[in-house]
Amino acid sequence: MDAAALDALDDETFRLEVRRFVEAHYPPALRNPPKRLHWAENQVWYRLLAAHGWLAPGWPREYGGMGLSAAKQLIVIEEFERHGCARTNDHGVVMVGPLLIRYGSDAQKQFFLPKILSGEAIWCQGYSEPNAGSDLASLRTEAVIDGDDYVINGQKTWTTLATDANWIFLLVRTDKAAKKQEGISFLLVPMDSPGITVRPIINLELHDEFCEVFFDNVRVPRANLVGEENKGWTMAKALLGFERIFLGSPRQSAYALVRLKLLAERMGLAEDPTFQDRYTRLRLDLEDHKALYETFAAQLRRGEALGADVSMLKIHQSELFQRITEAMLEIAGENAGLLEPMEGNRALHPAGLFIQARPATIYGGSNEIQRNILAGSVLDLPAT
Amino acid sequence: MSPDADDALRLIRDSAAAIAPRQGDLGRIRALRFTRPGFDRAVWRQMAELGWLGLLVEEARGGSGLGLAEFCALAEELGAGLVPEPLIFAAAIAPILPDAAAVIGGERIVLPAWQEQPNTLAPGAATRFAGGRVSGAKHFIPMADGADAFLVATADGLALVEREAPGVTLDLAMTQDGGHFGTLALRNAPATPVPGRIEPALESITLALAATALGLMDRAFALTLDYLRTRRQFGRAIGSFQALQHRAADLKLQLELTRASVAAAAAAPSPAVISRAKARAAEASLLLTRQAIQLHGGIGYTDEYDVGLFLRKAMVIANLHGSAALHRARFAALAPDMTE
Repeated sequence: MDAAALDALDDETFRLEVRRFVEAHYPPALRNPPKRLHWAENQVWYRLLAAHGWLAPGWPREYGGMGLSAAKQLIVIEEFERHGCARTNDHGVVMVGPLLIRYGSDAQKQFFLPKILSGEAIWCQGYSEPNAGSDLASLRTEAVIDGDDYVINGQKTWTTLATDANWIFLLVRTDKAAKKQEGISFLLVPMDSPGITVRPIINLELHDEFCEVFFDNVRVPRANLVGEENKGWTMAKALLGFERIFLGSPRQSAYALVRLKLLAERMGLAEDPTFQDRYTRLRLDLEDHKALYETFAAQLRRGEALGADVSMLKIHQSELFQRITEAMLEIAGENAGLLEPMEGNRALHPAGLFIQARPATIYGGSNEIQRNILAGSVLDLPAT
Repeated sequence: MSPDADDALRLIRDSAAAIAPRQGDLGRIRALRFTRPGFDRAVWRQMAELGWLGLLVEEARGGSGLGLAEFCALAEELGAGLVPEPLIFAAAIAPILPDAAAVIGGERIVLPAWQEQPNTLAPGAATRFAGGRVSGAKHFIPMADGADAFLVATADGLALVEREAPGVTLDLAMTQDGGHFGTLALRNAPATPVPGRIEPALESITLALAATALGLMDRAFALTLDYLRTRRQFGRAIGSFQALQHRAADLKLQLELTRASVAAAAAAPSPAVISRAKARAAEASLLLTRQAIQLHGGIGYTDEYDVGLFLRKAMVIANLHGSAALHRARFAALAPDMTE
């Protein structure tokens, strides 16, 4: 079935179609990976998606995407999650593609979009810096024009899977005199440029998912600027809408709740009234979260832009995910301290999931920042 | 508390600084993580020289004859330093061991092996001891790989089993803090009987674990306050934001409730108050170390920054010798409710 035909299906038929696709093609060995996979491990899935035309559900068809509605894109995510599909190195598809389609030059589109679809260009994101985290707009990595090039100096951090990437999309400061949001530009930089150094950071999962990326007089042609100079902040903000509903999707909590129940059964607590009350409370939180999520998904279905109130989804989902894993830890007895899954069973790993849930309230805009957004932009409370 | 008792506690804390200084770096702890046996025998001997292994042993048998208040002060400091040596386990059973001199001297390491199920305080009774031979399995023995012998609780009394004796196998499972739990399988392993009961020692360890949690909370909180004072975003120290100030204030409250609870239990120990302390320490230490990560943001989620080490230690000791829920239930069963 081609993309246009898929998009014409009603949502439930489409869902079954996605499910059939995943069950037919997803490599069984990669189901429910305990940690984020590197390109060496997940590229088989990336290439399968590309080969079947499923790699870019949100891109317009003229650029090789599926041109699906926002609602159908969510269904794809939900079904992939349901099956336990690994995340791929998807920054090119999720971030760079939409950025270029909206703001890129024709030359950039022609050069980069096919390379993303073929898996030739693998991207990482250069946003955060050691002193620009929650306060991202204070970033200081700078790009100075020198002839036909920009010369970049500075440091990025929390760059996910930078060791796998051959391109990085960067927010850089191009005007130090302007107000902090107004001097920022978007640059596309090859990772093999002289002057780039990548240092992996081991996280609490003991996984090298994040990296620091250092720029020492890195030269990149001015043609690699996306959109107008000093308009990078506006472009970056435009990319955040989909990320926030993605982070607010019930998938992580739903996944964790199933594991909580399995653990309770293993620990002989499934019939314990105290546990049942706690479990049911979490289950109700999840059901109500799904209902709240659905109201935002419906806005997307109607073609409306999401407002700042979508921050509620991110706050509630990430904290529910954490509460579920905290319940797991509390009922696991001494197993709560184990480094590896209990009894060699990946589904019984309370410590692993507990640790995995920790950064959910930090990344994608910390929950403190999300609450500031709610208080300021939604509740219209006065600024401090 | 009398001035003398205060002095004794201060001496203990000062001596702990030799091995676990409050301001020291955690390089030794990091180097030992995920290794075998996961701790340092030379440090163990140093601990012995400081008198820690004999702390609870009466003076007539070569110990210092101190009590739980001193034991908890020591455990607190070792917790603050994330010290991997299983001192509290070995020191708690030293008073009931027949050959205490070698244990107190640090030449011989004996660890308790009592547990057969997760989340319990009851020594399992499926292990049998007859005709000088022990059979059964014991779980969740912290740092078991470093032991020379185990004091095994059986349905037929306590038995001392040598690590290298025939019929003894030890399996290890790594723990989040870089240590491990041992599972001891005994098949007709030769053993010698030890008179006495292990339950009082298990109570002491339970309380010392609460004190350990207190120590690690204290240090994780200090690290976090330091970060709140120095980390700048939006042109100001993040600790100047009221939302974070209130959270820090709430954590301080939990920290001091834990300190008060542990001190009360150490001053007048009973199973009920020990449960009270452990229930508080288990919950509060996980809360505080979780929040310590959150308040640090991304850097808190890196393994190279120290604050995560405290979370991982809290994950291991929160449920050791009983989860918060277990201790709440035991408290309810043991402590008369005066409101009735």
